[in-house]
Formats: sequence, C-alpha cells, structure tokens
Amino acid sequence: MTDPADSVLIEGQKEKVRQGLSRRLRAERRFRAYGVVAIVLAILMLLFLAGTIAANGYSAFYQTWIKVDVFLDEELIAPDGKTDPQTLREEGDFRGALIESLVASYRVRGREKENRLIAMFSTDAERTLQRHAIANPRLVGKNISIWVKASSDIDQLTKGAIRRDLPESGRKVKDVQLVWYDRMAAENRIETRFNTGFFSTGDSREPEQAGIWGAIVGSFLTMLVTLILAFPVGLAAAVYLEEFAPKNRLTDLIEVNINNLAAVPSIVFGLLGLAVFLNFFELPRSAPLVGGMVLALMTLPTIIIAARASLLAVPPSVREAALGLGASRVQVVSHHVLPLAMPGILTGTIIGMARALGETAPLLMIGMVAFIVDIPGGPTDASTVMPVQIYLWADSPERGFVEKTSGAVIVLLAFLVVMNASAVYLRKKFERRW
Amino acid sequence: MNYGAILAALLVLTVLGFYLGRGRARAAAGRGQSRLHSLPGYYGAHVAIWMALPAFTLFVFWISFQGAIVEGIVWNGLPDRVTVLGETKPRDALPAEQKQLLINNIRNYATGDVVSGDVTALMKQGAAQYLRLEALSSWILAAAMAILAAVGLLLTYRSIAPTMRARVRVERVALLLLMVASTIAILTTVGIVLSLLFEALAFFTKVSPVDFLFGLEWSPQTAIREDQVGASGAFGAIPVFAGTMLITVIAMVVAVPVGLFAAIYLSEYASRRVRAAVKPVLEVLAGIPTVVYGFFAALTVAPMIRDAGAAVGLSVASESALAAGLIMGIMIIPFVSSLSDDIINAVPQALRDGSYGLGATRSETIRQVVLPAALPGIVGAVLLAVSRAIGETMIVVMAAGLSAKLTVNPFDAVTTVTVQIVTNLTGDPEFDSPKTLSAFALGLALFLVTLCLNVIALKVVQKYREKYD
Amino acid sequence: MNEKSVEHVVTAPPPEAAEADPAGADRNPVKMRTRGVNVHYAEKHALRDVSLDIGEREVTALIGPSGCGKSTFLRCLNRMNDTIDICRVTGRLELDGQDIYADSVDVVQLRASIGMVFQKPNPFPKSIFDNVAYGPRVHGLVADRADLEQLVEQSLRKAGLFDEVKDRFGDPGTSLSGGQQQRLCIARAIAVGPEVILMDEPCSSLDPIATARIEELIDELRQNYTIVIVTHSMQQAARVSQKTAFFHLGDLIEQGETPQIFTNPRDEKTQGYITGRFG
Repeated sequence: MTDPADSVLIEGQKEKVRQGLSRRLRAERRFRAYGVVAIVLAILMLLFLAGTIAANGYSAFYQTWIKVDVFLDEELIAPDGKTDPQTLREEGDFRGALIESLVASYRVRGREKENRLIAMFSTDAERTLQRHAIANPRLVGKNISIWVKASSDIDQLTKGAIRRDLPESGRKVKDVQLVWYDRMAAENRIETRFNTGFFSTGDSREPEQAGIWGAIVGSFLTMLVTLILAFPVGLAAAVYLEEFAPKNRLTDLIEVNINNLAAVPSIVFGLLGLAVFLNFFELPRSAPLVGGMVLALMTLPTIIIAARASLLAVPPSVREAALGLGASRVQVVSHHVLPLAMPGILTGTIIGMARALGETAPLLMIGMVAFIVDIPGGPTDASTVMPVQIYLWADSPERGFVEKTSGAVIVLLAFLVVMNASAVYLRKKFERRW
Repeated sequence: MNYGAILAALLVLTVLGFYLGRGRARAAAGRGQSRLHSLPGYYGAHVAIWMALPAFTLFVFWISFQGAIVEGIVWNGLPDRVTVLGETKPRDALPAEQKQLLINNIRNYATGDVVSGDVTALMKQGAAQYLRLEALSSWILAAAMAILAAVGLLLTYRSIAPTMRARVRVERVALLLLMVASTIAILTTVGIVLSLLFEALAFFTKVSPVDFLFGLEWSPQTAIREDQVGASGAFGAIPVFAGTMLITVIAMVVAVPVGLFAAIYLSEYASRRVRAAVKPVLEVLAGIPTVVYGFFAALTVAPMIRDAGAAVGLSVASESALAAGLIMGIMIIPFVSSLSDDIINAVPQALRDGSYGLGATRSETIRQVVLPAALPGIVGAVLLAVSRAIGETMIVVMAAGLSAKLTVNPFDAVTTVTVQIVTNLTGDPEFDSPKTLSAFALGLALFLVTLCLNVIALKVVQKYREKYD
Repeated sequence: MNEKSVEHVVTAPPPEAAEADPAGADRNPVKMRTRGVNVHYAEKHALRDVSLDIGEREVTALIGPSGCGKSTFLRCLNRMNDTIDICRVTGRLELDGQDIYADSVDVVQLRASIGMVFQKPNPFPKSIFDNVAYGPRVHGLVADRADLEQLVEQSLRKAGLFDEVKDRFGDPGTSLSGGQQQRLCIARAIAVGPEVILMDEPCSSLDPIATARIEELIDELRQNYTIVIVTHSMQQAARVSQKTAFFHLGDLIEQGETPQIFTNPRDEKTQGYITGRFG
C-alpha cells in the first residue's frame, strides 16, 4: 500500500536528521551561551558599579581628627578681658590662637610654612575651639588639649587617597606637612572617627565639613509635596477612569495622554516647571514646593497606571455583590473596591516616589542646583535634594568630594532600597490571586 | 496672615460644619417625621463640601494671581522717576529687563532674600508698600473665604431635611472631583506644549527656524552680546542632534543585544530559580538613579576608556561619546529586557509547541518562530528605549561634552540636546536671551521627537498584544 | 537538546508485563510500546502505570473524560512533556523496541520520527510555504530549493490542502480557515517524514464539515503512518480508529479493538462513559 514517493521521503530522513544533529546542538549551545553572557554582563556591570561606589564611598563615613595643644591666649580670644559667650563668639580670634600655639609647638618660621601648617587643619578647628571656650569660659588663658578636624587633604592622606610615593610637585600634601603628620602620628595625635557631621550638616565648600543633612531634609520636603499632590490626584484619576468614566473620545484621549506622559523625558517636566511655576506664577526658585510640584506631575502617570492596574485586578463579582445589596456605585468603590486595591496602589505609589527621589534633571531646571549651606526649614526655603547634591559634588574638583559624592550615593541608594523593599514587602504580604 | 493658618482655620470650620450638619440630620430623623434619605454622615459631608470647596477654590486662584496684582500696584505706587543701576529715568521709560530687575529686587528685599546690587531708598519704599499690600491681601482673602464658608454653611444647613437626597448630591460632587483629577494629565500635556511653544516662538523671532534646524554651527556662548561676531549664526542645532543620535546609537548597540538576549534566556531557558534570582538584579539596575550612572561614567568609565585608548595609541576624549553611550546602554538594558520579556511571553505557547513537535531545537524555535512572531512588539520596545535614550539627561550632562561637534567618531566628545538644555538654563539664566530661549526650542524638538516615538511604539505594542490576546 | 530540568527515571518493566500482550491478538506489528508509565506534575500524580501497545499503520484513539490523562500520555510519546519544568515521567516507552527516554536518544531525532498535531491549529506566523518547509529546513532534509518545493507540494497534497492553496503559497498561514489551518499543520508534520503522528484533539476547534475532512484525511494517512489520536468525541473515535484505549482519572481502564470497546466493553467505567453516564 505504500506510495513510492513516501518511501523516498522517509528513507533518507533518519540519516539526514542524525547527520545534522551535532551541528544543531552546537548552535543550540552557542545561542544559549549568548543569553548567559548577556545576563552575566549585566550582573557584572551592576557589581562593578556597586563596587566602585562602595570602594570610593565607604571612607566618607569616617574622618580624620587631630589632637592639638592650644593656649587659649586671652589677648587674642578675649581682648577686653570679658569671657561671656557673646564676646567670645563675636570678638575672639580663635584662628590666631590656634596658629600661635601650632607655630610654637612645631617651631615653624616663615609665612609660607605657617600657612602649610595651618592648612593641615579644617577651618572647622577654630570653631571647635570657640565652642569649647564658650562652654568652659574658665579655660581662657590656659593650655588645653583638644581634638579638631583635619583638613580634607590630611584626611585623604590618612585614608590613602593621597599617595606619599608621588613626587612632591604632584601631591597636595607637601613634604614638610608629611614630616609634621608623621610626628603627630607618632605622638598618637591622629585618629579617625565616625563622620557625624556628614549626617548633620548642609553643604560646604570644604569637603571635610560638607554634609548631606540639608539635602536629605530638602529631599524629604520635596517628596512630601510630591506625595500630597500626586497620591490623591492620581488615585482620584485612576478611580474615575477605571470605575466611572464613560467610554468616549475624551476618556480615550486621557488614556493615551497618560501613557504618553509616562514616557515624556523628565527634563521636559523641568522646562514646564520653569516656564509655568517660576516664570508665570512666580513661585520661589530652588524651593521644595516647586520641586515637589514638578515631580508630582512627573509621578502622576506612574501612580495612575499602577492604581488602574490594581483596580482592574479586583474581580467584577465584588462590585456586583455590593451593587446587589443596594449600595451606590460610589459606595461600592469606596467601601469594597478601593480597600481591596489599596495595597497595589500603595506599592505603585512607593515605586513612583522612589523614582522621583532619584530624579535630578527637572530639578536642575527650577534652580534646586544652587549651593545651599542652610538646612531648609520649610517647603518654600531654598534647598537642594540628594541627587542634585550628588551632581554638585561630582562636579567639584577636590579629591575629598569624590568620597563625599560616593558616600551620598550610598545614602541615596540606601533610601531607595528601603523604599523598594517596603514596596516588595507590601506586595508580598497583600498579594491576592483572584 | 499666614496662608497655612488660613487653610488650617478653613479645615477646622469645615470639620465643625460636618458635625453640625450630621447633628441636624440626626435631629430631623429623631423627630420621627420620616426616614432620612441618606445616612446622617452624608448630610454632614454635604455641608462640609459647600463650606470648603468654594473657599478653597478662591484661595488657589487668589494665591496664583495675587503676586502679579500686588506687584502692579507697587509699581504704580513708585515715584515717576526711578533710579536703576545708577541712572535716573522716567519710570515708564524703563526697559523691560530693568523693570523686572527692580521688581525682583523689591520683592527679594521684602522677603529678606539676597538683592542684586545695593539696597536703594526706592527699594525700601517699594518693599514697605509690598509688605503692606501683601498683609492686606491675605486679610481680605481670609475674610472672603470666611464669608464663602459661612454662606455655604447657611444654605446647606437650612436645606437639611429627611427628603433631601444628600448622598446623591455628595456623590455628584465626589464624581466631579474625580473627573477634574483625571483631566490634570491633559492639562499637564497642554501646559508642556504651550510653555515650550511659547518660549520656542520667542526664540524663533530671534533665530530663524531654518538656521536652527539646518545650521551646522552651535555655540550659544558667543551670542550673549549682540555686537559679537557670529552671534546670529551660532544656533544651528544639527551638531547637537547628531551628538544625541551618536550617543543614542551607542547606547542601543549595548542595550538591545544584551537586553534582548537576557530576556530570551530568562523567558525561554532559565529555570524558575534562576529567573527569580536574576529578575530582581535587573530591576535593581533599573532602579539606580541616573545621576549615579552619570557619576559612575564620569568618575570611572570615561577615564578607563581614555586610558585604554591611550594604551593602544588611540586618542580618546576624556568625555567621549563612547563612555556616555556605554553607560546609558547599561541603564537601558533592564528597560529593554523587561519589555522584551513581556512581549516574548505573549507569544502563544502553541507556536512553540508546534515547533518543538516538529523536532526543532529551542534556539531554532526561538530564532525562527518566537522572534519573528514577537518582532513588532520588540520593535516597539526598542523605539521606547530609543526615546528613553534621547531624553536621558544626567548621564550625558555628567559624562558627555559641552562643545557641539559634528562627528561620528565615538571617541570624540559630543554634546546632546539635553546637555544643552541644562547648560543653557542653569547658572544665571538671563531671561529673553537667545541662549536661554534656545533651551526651550531644543526642549520642544526633544518633546516632539520623543512623543512621536512613544505614540508609534505604544501603538505598535498595543496592536501586537491585541493580536495574541 | 539539553533539558536537564526534567527527571527521567526509567525502570525496567516487570517481566510478566513484557510477556503479556494486553491488546490481545494483533494483526499489525507493534510500533510503540509503553510499560508502567507514571507521570507526576509537581505533587500531582497525573498518570498511573499505563501500559499500552500502539500498532503500526493503524489509528489508535485515546478517549476518556477531560483531565483523565489522555493528552498527558500522548505528550509523553514524543517527549513534549520535557518542556514543562515540573513534569516527571517514569516507566518505559519504546519506539521500534528502543527506549525513547534513554540518554542516547535525542528529542530532536525522536520528534522528527514522531510528529504532532495540536488541539488548536497553530500555524506559524509565516507563509503557507514556509510553514510546511519549516521542518525540512531545520532538519536539513533537502539539498536545494527544487527538492524543497517538491516536498512541500507532496506534503500539502497528502494533507489534502494543495488544491486549495496552490495559488497562494506566499499568503500567511494564519489567513486560512480553521480547518485549512489544521490540515496545514498536518502537512507541516508530514513534511518532516515521521513514522508516527500524534494528534491531540485535532478537530475540537473545528466545525463539522472541516472535522469530516480531517477524519477522511486521517483515514488516508493510516496507509502510511502510525497515528495516535486523542479525542473527546466517541463518535470520532469509532469512525477513525482501529484500536481504542479508555482513560479515567489517570488510569488506563481498558484497551482493545475499537468495535469491541464500543459494543462490548469489559469495564463498567468504560460502559458508563460510552453510554454517556459521565464524561
């Protein structure tokens, strides 16, 4: 019964398939290897990035201090003999006192050497002296031994970022300073401590005094404004579009619009903020209020999309059951649908806020890129935010700011990790499969 | 009077109104005339809404426009001859910038901000007037809001009766608010388009659009003073667009193969365990702020590439397009891979089974069945990624160059649209200078290009999904 | 193909089972033989101790209520279950006396010999020609374009589709009607030159006329191919098959000549199913 054409087809078949097999299996392995290589590459890049940041940044969390013996010379710090806080604060020449004592201890002669010696200490040192004297006025006129911050260069030397084996001309710390440094080290006058200032002060031109607390507060205020604006509006828009909106041209338009808005480059939102909020409504520049408004507009589509997805996931049977009991549609949504969808909505909101927290470009447009030392006290004060602070520091040429930048990156990433982890936790805890 | 205090007072009044309304409704029900139409709380809410909503709306409008009005009055209250920058002129003859400068100074002096130049008696006079007016304005506002709230309370409170359909009324207002919220997205888009268009048009009155779109020379810095040479020919955006394209292409060369192969591996080969471990890693890559990537590119990658180039005798700019493009590509990998993953997963299993059933290997199935079937979706994903790359700002601001150079050499430094926007608008933007306005023209171009890419990509992806749904 | 995620525990069949011929007297030689096949999906025991002989060049129908394991069993015959992570197959399955789950057997080769047609027609999103040419191309069965064209034409002829599509080889396979698509899938399977064709409810998504055409086709193909068909329609099983096996809740309840199963079933459950008391 066999058709002759069949036998031709079937006959050579087994042999031919077998012949091609090893080539095909090699191709298969190769293709699979491409996939593995792609993933390994991505992971390696992540590790490389994380490693670089960690290696550069961990040293930002500690800092070099030097113990100095200072004679609190009355003639310099309390010229008219009064040691009340106000006089000490306004008239005391603590820098002079510090120089005088250092020059005496290290037997330095000559203007240039003096400058080199004092350059080993942070300008914060004289303020440390001042605070100490104000707190203990009876010490005026006496010798004290006190720990003060080292300058950024000395700090970098301690951390090994400035290398001794370079020729003197290519090195920020000069030979004479190295001699003093070694002497201090031999006298146990040098130690490193946890850098509390990094977490409690604002920006500074001096790396050893710069902190991110101002940026953290600025970020917090900005995020607060963003959350207050974006969450209710996003939630309301999502509820309307998903639960109440009639299917018509307008809602289609809104829908397309939201999807596109989600993909508009963030810097365009910055331009909008500049043109509308700053130039038209004349709101203050550099203020968390405006930053928060811009980021709220940027985050809104993300929140709406996430909220709609979780509303959609609530099965219609829940709505029908409530409607069947005589609840109005508004009641159905507010009593039954929203509570069920809320974990998903919150997750989406947290993720959107995390993105906003890391956003930089639109804030540059509205002037949050200024150098601001003070800790902002409210949403209309000039301030900066963490990512902008990173950008500003990354632009600074001083070696000391490299570690500060990386340190700030670590802090920012820590915040993001906490936010994203809480989103994951929320999703896991309330995950519901219908 | 402090705005926060005004709002707090309104809130307190509103809460009070709620309890009043609810109490009256309960009382009405208690007299047992008839059953209430709605729960008592709805009557309270009805009162609260009509107390808060009109007053709050007034507040928002007042705040938005009071600045301009107060300034106008202050301006008109100044003497007829004013001294600005050491010159005394009739007030009405001041050029626009000087007028703006003076007003800004008055406002800054009044609010305790930094004033540019010396504080003059004129400023002090204006500032005093400014502060007086502002205080007056906030008192008027507070009074007007109080009246509105009172009227609202009175009208709604009196209307409370068992037959009143409070729930329906409250829900109608709630729905209206929801609707308003959903139109904010549209308002945002309109705001973007209008603000970009408005400023870009101002730019095009100074620089011809033809020069902008087709000019080969971009150097906004030289055009600060109009008497400078080349001031008119410095806004040819072609080198800026070309630089953007160069970096985008490099980013895509990195992101598309890596992202696509990662997605293929994850969706077709990886076991659940591997998928569960690798996907979060890619998500981490997506969650890193771009400023961190930019810092990484500028601090580590760019010098590395420069040194590597020097080692083999290539001269590589320290802000090479390659470094910025490479890092941008890495940033976009997770974007491409997660979109492609979704798209590949949308290819029906039946097609794979059909291919396996014929004895095809996995890679044959992927290359000849899955990928061709997923192609439209993947093209959409790549378009979205391109749009992301074009609009990405921080990486290029930190790692790419500032000078516009027309080149395709990835080792050269080029500049991009977003870099130019940032550099021309940060620092001390001089208003109305072509340099500042050019940022808006670039922004408009950026917005239009990314919008087109997004619309096309979203349409393509949507069509693709519908096909397999 | 490397599919390590699937665990195959192949045990030797019990001696007496190998001796006995459960199908009774057979006119056709046995093409495929299974002994003690068990399938687990994760924790679920989907198939228990299935021993079945499939005769050469005849149609064997697998029937039973949905979820009874008949499709699972079919997918074991060309190792399609390998693609499912959580699926574990144990027992012995032979093609021409050779264990198809042995390490030396490559699934690619196996599936080239045992083709498959699925429940829903699943033509690739390619032209009609490329759909049929797909198998020969991946297996490298033809040397040149002329041979390929000849092979595609022959396969389409055998699937009874050639006359309907001869003028539009370039059209996408998805542009055909459901019945035509299913015949295209059959042509696609034939083009590889298999010995066995597995059909998983091939008509379940088709209208009665298209179904009739496919049934005719199955009857013709029986001359050259060993066919195993899963069907939920007892009438179809009665019409197209020579042997029938009845599955119920993962057990193979009864097997035998089709007329015998339908007229004189030995098991109560079979009786119940074919008379429509459950299903």
